[in-house]
Amino acid sequence: MALEKHESRPVAEKGEHIIARHLIEDENIKEEKNLVIDGVDVSGRWNTFIISRVDSEFDRSFFEEIKKTVAGSRINRCWQCGMCTASCTVTPLYRRFNPRAFIYMMQLGNLKELKKYIDVAWRCVGCYKCSQRCPKQVNPAEMMEALALVIKKYFPEEVETKLKLDEEVKKIYEDMIIGHGRLDLAKLHTSAMQKSGRTKELLGKIERGAILKMAKDGRAFSILKLGKPHNWGSSRKAIENYLHKLNTIENGEAGV
Amino acid sequence: MDKLKENQAAYYPGCALLTIDRAYNNSSKLVSKKMGIELVEIPDYNCCGIGEMKSKGAASMYMPLRNMMLAKNRLGSKNLVMACSVCYHEFSRSIARVKENQNELSAVNEIFKEAGEFNEEFIPDGEARHILEFLYNEKGVEEVKKNVVKPLKGLKVAPYYGCLYSRPSMYTFTDKKPKMDNSERPRFMHEFLEALGAETVFYGNEVQCCGGRNVVQDEETSFTLCSQTISKAKKAGADVIALICPKCAGALDVNQPKIVEKFGKDSELPIVYLTQLMALAFGFSKKEAEFSDMISEPLKVLNEKGF
Repeated sequence: MALEKHESRPVAEKGEHIIARHLIEDENIKEEKNLVIDGVDVSGRWNTFIISRVDSEFDRSFFEEIKKTVAGSRINRCWQCGMCTASCTVTPLYRRFNPRAFIYMMQLGNLKELKKYIDVAWRCVGCYKCSQRCPKQVNPAEMMEALALVIKKYFPEEVETKLKLDEEVKKIYEDMIIGHGRLDLAKLHTSAMQKSGRTKELLGKIERGAILKMAKDGRAFSILKLGKPHNWGSSRKAIENYLHKLNTIENGEAGV
Repeated sequence: MDKLKENQAAYYPGCALLTIDRAYNNSSKLVSKKMGIELVEIPDYNCCGIGEMKSKGAASMYMPLRNMMLAKNRLGSKNLVMACSVCYHEFSRSIARVKENQNELSAVNEIFKEAGEFNEEFIPDGEARHILEFLYNEKGVEEVKKNVVKPLKGLKVAPYYGCLYSRPSMYTFTDKKPKMDNSERPRFMHEFLEALGAETVFYGNEVQCCGGRNVVQDEETSFTLCSQTISKAKKAGADVIALICPKCAGALDVNQPKIVEKFGKDSELPIVYLTQLMALAFGFSKKEAEFSDMISEPLKVLNEKGF
């Protein structure tokens, strides 16, 4: 996916200097060319206004649903200060990635708005700057995991199309971690490249150089020897059972 | 397996350190031994979950906590030392969460019971220790100074902590650790490097993220972040960047040729692990510290400087 900053900006004129401009609909921005208020000429920067809106139709059941998950258990604590967005590593790269706004939408149960951000919702790098600086210990970094859960549950088709690679890579990780108990980095890399249709790159100069180097110094063979933990089968079964139970509860009522 | 002796510590290697990042694994062991602590690997370890399991409730906590159980059961150690920051985060996250939340603890114990591998319940009375914080707290800077035989005079190092070593402090720096590093401006690696005789540079990206988590799905973010970090360090005059996390190495070192291809020569700088530099200063050879394993060729600059 190409970073947004390289793309041309969709909103060139209207309310361009508004921070988090993407959160406001075009028709809700009112611009006057020349504006005089109480005899004071405020033409220039001070003639852009956002028409106030009313958020209604809250779906509180949705809020409760998130609160019951492990990752989103602290959603009730958020008081919308925006420290998470201000410290976010990803926001400067993807302007539409706005943790504060995501948490707000989740609190309101505003699925219609959330749906607009499916393409960037999973871009969190998990650096935990937001959780470190959050004054209410909301743990926004893990809230983004809850967001991913929500989106996957309510918009499976969109996830399938817009986040195909993310889903597939996550599946490779999970299969390997739960199935084998250990992570084979070489296999992870090659299958991820394969899934994103870049198998050819593996034969390119850079990749080939790294592979040859690791074959030469013996590291490539240590990957083959990684193996499984002894008795992993019982743990695997227990985890799979737990996840099965979790899924049935989630589809019914939601919960840990 | 025998229980640990006094100068031994239970050690969790993790998947990356046993395979492609063996340089970090081996040099950590060399350095710890020289400083008087032998790291003993726990048998039958399993993957910590590397952050990909977080949406899976208690299963994400079972993964690391099974290793804590192993350490207690097989080696008789409550605490577990690890060198990978991602593992460290996963372990401390799980321990902090089950300590605070009885529901989550019983959910994890439910999985333990079903797996039937251990006869006892999990009790969160141990701690996860990162090798940097562990050596600093247990042995201290003086012990490092004492062991230096070949000071790294004239080497300018940019210490790179990455994100999960110090963040979030509610997980990583709990009250059981004698001294806590600062979450926003950590100092432990600086102090170690200065004790080795090297010079540290300030470049502003010490705790920036490398984007390693999404490096497969979202290469561009990772490349952009890494290029910022490397070029800032280079501008500040650093000869090498010192790391304490294999995931950062994946993003900064292994991907460096691709980053250079995209962002130019400004993003080219040798990457080493902190423990490799420590091993070098402690008198081990460059071959023993396995500098040749790094893709970004730190050997060149080390030879130039005459180490």
